[in-house]
Amino acid sequence: MAQERKLKITVDHDVCVGNAMCETFATNTFALNEERQSEAVNPQGDPLAQVLEAADNCPVSAITVEDAETGEKLFP
Amino acid sequence: MVTAVSDDMFTDEVLNDPYAYYGQLREEDPVHWNDLYQLWVVTRHDDLVWLTRHNELFSSAVFKNDPRPPYPTIYDSDLGLYEFVREYQARQFIQHDRPVHLDMRKVVHGYFTPRSMEEWRPMVKDVIKDLLDEAEERGSMDVMRDFATPLPLLIIAEMMGVPRQDRPYIREVAEKLLYVGRGEPWRMQNFSEGIREMIEYVTPLVEKRIVEPEDDFISVLAQGEREGVFSRDQVISNSSLLLLAGHETTINLLCNGILSFIRNPDQYELLRSDIEGMHVKANEECLRHDSSVKSITRIASEDVELRDKVIKKEDRIRWFISSANRDPRKFENPDQFDITRWPNPHVAFGAGIHHCLGATLVRVEGQEAFRAFAERFESLHLDTTEDQLEYQPSITFRSLKSLPITWN
Ligand code: HEM
Ligand code: HEM
Ligand code: SF4
Repeated sequence: MAQERKLKITVDHDVCVGNAMCETFATNTFALNEERQSEAVNPQGDPLAQVLEAADNCPVSAITVEDAETGEKLFP
Repeated sequence: MVTAVSDDMFTDEVLNDPYAYYGQLREEDPVHWNDLYQLWVVTRHDDLVWLTRHNELFSSAVFKNDPRPPYPTIYDSDLGLYEFVREYQARQFIQHDRPVHLDMRKVVHGYFTPRSMEEWRPMVKDVIKDLLDEAEERGSMDVMRDFATPLPLLIIAEMMGVPRQDRPYIREVAEKLLYVGRGEPWRMQNFSEGIREMIEYVTPLVEKRIVEPEDDFISVLAQGEREGVFSRDQVISNSSLLLLAGHETTINLLCNGILSFIRNPDQYELLRSDIEGMHVKANEECLRHDSSVKSITRIASEDVELRDKVIKKEDRIRWFISSANRDPRKFENPDQFDITRWPNPHVAFGAGIHHCLGATLVRVEGQEAFRAFAERFESLHLDTTEDQLEYQPSITFRSLKSLPITWN
């Protein structure tokens, strides 16, 4: 099931250590790039709950999630 | 380039000041073949980051796949014990590659999210307060014995769900497990005894949590067994993981950090002048400047070219956190202890899929520990002379033997 709500997801590459937990919890949303850092390749890829779980499981709190339309902060 | 550096990494000189030795390698021969120990020594920050993030090229299953004997050497009569230890160690997920590593890590990862570790902060603060109250009453403290050793242990015991009355016993066992990072030839005796006692101790706890889960760490592992990810043996092995992986490392952060503040009173003053604003940054700088873990091993899964060298399949590689965190290509004035440094992209916790599971916990412990010292003590002093400070003969851990201090 894809995500209906439009999300704006950012990954802070100053802190991402490439441990791939986000990719593990939200497989369609996140993917590691050449440098093995995470990119939100498809913000609509997974249900919101899964995206939030991924963000929560980032050990260095690199991920922020907001509603792209309203700007509402969903994580942290 | 061939460098004139000697390959003996266990001399007093190198143990006391690893920064000069590995720093020279970093500048002269960043991917160095150490002929004496038959391994590659990798020392630059960008190479470490690259290497740790390419887990498919560098295997972590060192104990399972490396037939070479332990070093520094142990007594021949202890080789049997070593086999036992190695088999036990090989069950820990730190020693696994994907896909098994991911399945195992997923079970425990959720327990260590930054948010869930925040919930432990009040408890960590309480434990720190008690330990420092006791020290103040006595009027002196060996930071190692009286603060850094009991602190992580008390927290871990709480997380594991160890009943209060069993703590002195766990402390005794933990002392034996601390031999993991040492170089003494008899270390396997203490270490394997510690493991045996640990197994005996946690087995009934595990059996209980399988039937009646609670919210402690052993119950999380027990859930892993119910889901078929862990065998019973693995649950038992990994139950002691918190103790093994999180004890020596945290001790070193606290001791090395306090020592850095003693040697740099201006930085201590700076922390004291704005504790709220500085304690997080200060902790990161302690992690970087005199890192708890000096080096970690991998085995090449295929031939890999790195700089002008070819690392052959099955070759051993040791990557040195202590030199990467002092790499001038990444850090300005790298040898300076500067608690305003930010961002601080150190690799004290490694990187990639094996990035330290306990990092979130240690950050809470370190931040609160340095905060508490700064709140309480106007200035810190060594209660011994610089030349009396000694380090354990280990290339894995940067461990002081003791750290007696006084304060005003
Ligand atoms: C200052 C304290 C600590 C430091 C500097 C540290 C450092 C490290 C490093 C460098 C690694 C990477 C190992 C590798 O790539 O092979 C690691 C992994 C690990 N650490 Fe820590 N550690 C600390 C504290 C802790 C604590 C308190 C725990 C307890 C939960 C812990 C549990 C682990 C585990 C389980 C792994 C293996 C992760 C994996 O393979 O996925 N560490 N640590
Ligand atoms: C989780 C439970 C762990 C167990 C049971 C364990 C056990 C052991 C044992 C038995 C040794 C051999 C010691 C010797 O030869 O004297 C060893 C070495 C080592 N451990 Fe661990 N360890 C654990 C966690 C960790 C963690 C978290 C780190 C990283 C921070 C780490 C890093 C190392 C390194 C780098 C060596 C040296 C390996 C070599 O000599 O090639 N270990 N460990
Ligand atoms: S979980 Fe965090 S650190 Fe790990 S890859 Fe994703 S963004 Fe990076």
